Amino acid sequence: MTRNMGALVDITKCIGCESCVVACRLYNGLEPGQDEEYGTARDGNAELAPNKWTVVQSCRTEKNGKQIRRFVKQQCFHCLEPACASACFAKALQKTPAGPVVYNEKLCVGCRYCMIACPFGILRFEWDKPFPRVLKCQMCLGRVTDGQMPACAAACPTGAITFGDRDKMVEEAKNRLAANPDLYTGQIYGLKDAGGTSWLYISDAPFEQLGFRTDVPQKPIPEYTWQVLRWTPFIFVGWGALLTGMYLYTKRRAGVHEEEEMYAAVDDDDGK
Amino acid sequence: MKDCNDDVEKDVEKKEITRRTFLKMAAGTGLLAGLTGALAGCADKNPEHAGGKGWLPYQYNVAGNLPAQVRGRVPIDADNPSIVRDDRKCILCGQCLEVCENVESVFGYYSLPVVDETICINCGQCSMACPSGAISERDDTQIVFEALADKNRFVLVQTAPATRVALGEEFGLAPGTWVQGQQVAALRRLGFDAVLDTNFTADLTIMEEATELIKRIKGEVRKPLPQFTSCSPGWIKFCEYFYPELIPNISSCKSPQQMFGALAKTYYAKEKGIDPGNILSVSVMPCTAKKYEARRPEMNASAAYWKRGDLRDVDVVLTTRELARMIKEKQIDFTALPEEGYDRLMGEETGGAVIFGATGGVMEAAARTAYFLITGQEPPALFLNLTPVRGLAGVKEAAAEIPGVGTLRVAVSHGMANGRKILDAVREGRAPWHFVEFMTCPGGCIAGGGQPRTAVPPTDAVREQRLAALYKADASLPKRKSHENAEVAALYRNFLEHPMSELAEELLHTEYHSRADKLKRLFAKVV
Repeated sequence: MTRNMGALVDITKCIGCESCVVACRLYNGLEPGQDEEYGTARDGNAELAPNKWTVVQSCRTEKNGKQIRRFVKQQCFHCLEPACASACFAKALQKTPAGPVVYNEKLCVGCRYCMIACPFGILRFEWDKPFPRVLKCQMCLGRVTDGQMPACAAACPTGAITFGDRDKMVEEAKNRLAANPDLYTGQIYGLKDAGGTSWLYISDAPFEQLGFRTDVPQKPIPEYTWQVLRWTPFIFVGWGALLTGMYLYTKRRAGVHEEEEMYAAVDDDDGK
Repeated sequence: MKDCNDDVEKDVEKKEITRRTFLKMAAGTGLLAGLTGALAGCADKNPEHAGGKGWLPYQYNVAGNLPAQVRGRVPIDADNPSIVRDDRKCILCGQCLEVCENVESVFGYYSLPVVDETICINCGQCSMACPSGAISERDDTQIVFEALADKNRFVLVQTAPATRVALGEEFGLAPGTWVQGQQVAALRRLGFDAVLDTNFTADLTIMEEATELIKRIKGEVRKPLPQFTSCSPGWIKFCEYFYPELIPNISSCKSPQQMFGALAKTYYAKEKGIDPGNILSVSVMPCTAKKYEARRPEMNASAAYWKRGDLRDVDVVLTTRELARMIKEKQIDFTALPEEGYDRLMGEETGGAVIFGATGGVMEAAARTAYFLITGQEPPALFLNLTPVRGLAGVKEAAAEIPGVGTLRVAVSHGMANGRKILDAVREGRAPWHFVEFMTCPGGCIAGGGQPRTAVPPTDAVREQRLAALYKADASLPKRKSHENAEVAALYRNFLEHPMSELAEELLHTEYHSRADKLKRLFAKVV
């Protein structure tokens, strides 16, 4: 049986060195643009891009009346039931059993439904390419299927990123929260958000202050569309049957009417 | 009807597809289809990918350029005044972490989470260890070039003791080559209006610091012993972060760079009749932490002196590497330059000042002058060759008899990991010393974070050659004790009156602030 892998990001342990950002670029062969300022944590302007699958966002906030600065690693959350994959009719995005949600450029038609579907706004489109792709973190699929951790987790010098079975990661997160209730907020982001994600976060500052979307639904997003789309076959068959019935009815009515007219004409002739 | 039929026949004749037109059309369509296919990426040159076939896209199954061993790296803030990092060059080898953790004992010595700033003592040792050159000094050469081009600006430069034994390495000379004269000549050719020597204020620092030490020993000032040196800005920040309770032990003397900056816009400006607002005070330092030190908010004594808010004592700090870059940019043939001397008024040096660049040097120079200040006699030969504090041992101790006072016990450390050993001893009250010298960089300023990257990572062989050059210069100078510096004597006579006078306190002394609220310190490394 394939193990369902996940990662736990402990925001309290991140020092903003961006080793993960560089590791991601090196492993995935992502070339930075010539004038681009790559890395070096800045306040609020680290943006994901087609050639930046992970960034570290620096956030300043307050805790117990004191200024604090926290670093948030951003990448694809790898939802357990990804909305992007459910929106993709070309099957270019799929959830693999090991956990990563993977994009296959050979199947992509470039419709960008996935970008609209993603509740976290992670996917990036290559607007400047003649044949653009939609790019995002692949959770280092090759490494993960080999039993290694993703490049970013391997490069983290402070152990802010832990990688393993998702169940174990949830357990680890709960243990850390229980061991240090004064420090952590007590929430695990990604446990239920968007129906659960492979990447989990724990923090000592409220998630909404760190730029996390806390208004995403707690159940899988594809379920919402499923509530409507599951009626498709019935509507399809029912509508067809209805139209067929109406056709048969009108056809028969027209036939009867014609017959009646014919008889009427005969009657008229007889009348003469 | 007949006409109509004729027309149709004519049209058919006109549009008849000949063999030629058919072939042309077929070829054209094929070409178009092929072109579209090639552009769309159908013409795949590598149909068999390393990751194999299957649903999963090939590019994610093969490793890119990620090395087998990755260790991560130190955090560097975007607004760090001293160092910058080019992420395109970083290979995550972890050499910077190695230095930060084991040589400077900064990384790993504070508990997480961080508070609101990136903990960095600005020493720049990571830039010395970085094998791919990803970490380097923040380049301030453009500001200096612009000021040099401005005819109305009076651009004044001071050069640190340690740059003159390393600058030559940037131009192919052997490590430790003495290039003091060429450096002065190069600075003149770059267009600096006055080329002065930090050695002058190094001697001045010794006068102030030795006076303060004697006052502490005699109990004339209520400050604890041992007294700590204060010339290494990385060490000062380290102490403010990790040992704030020992701040009173640090000498209140500014570093030679900042003493120079304060005097350049007061004493020098007055003597030469220059508007201090018109002076751009530049320093050439072996150090990246000096860039940060010059920006410390309290380093504007000249502003207080003239009651003008816009003055900074030192405007721009250039590292040795930046100076070398400027010389190369202006295509000056450095090795062919004649040896020239410093400008006067603030350009005289003694042997005591020269050895400031070496670990143990400040201690040795202070001991020479302290002996003179206490006894009124010239120190014996031991003080001119205080070998116990020389060399590259991590922690060095020495004791010397001074008649009338007793035994003067001193200690010297370089690299903050070594410094910790002394600091812990002082904190726990088992420190027998009167005076302790701390240098942030291993080997002292000669191996500072702004020095030429002659060996990466820096080696003791290069350090020893640079140290030997400084001690050789000290031995060969006619004046070897800071109190013999005639220009310093003139400064006291004409401007400051005497060491630790009111004006000297205002211009040459400073205070330090605890940074304990910026981190939760640990006394042992976290694993």
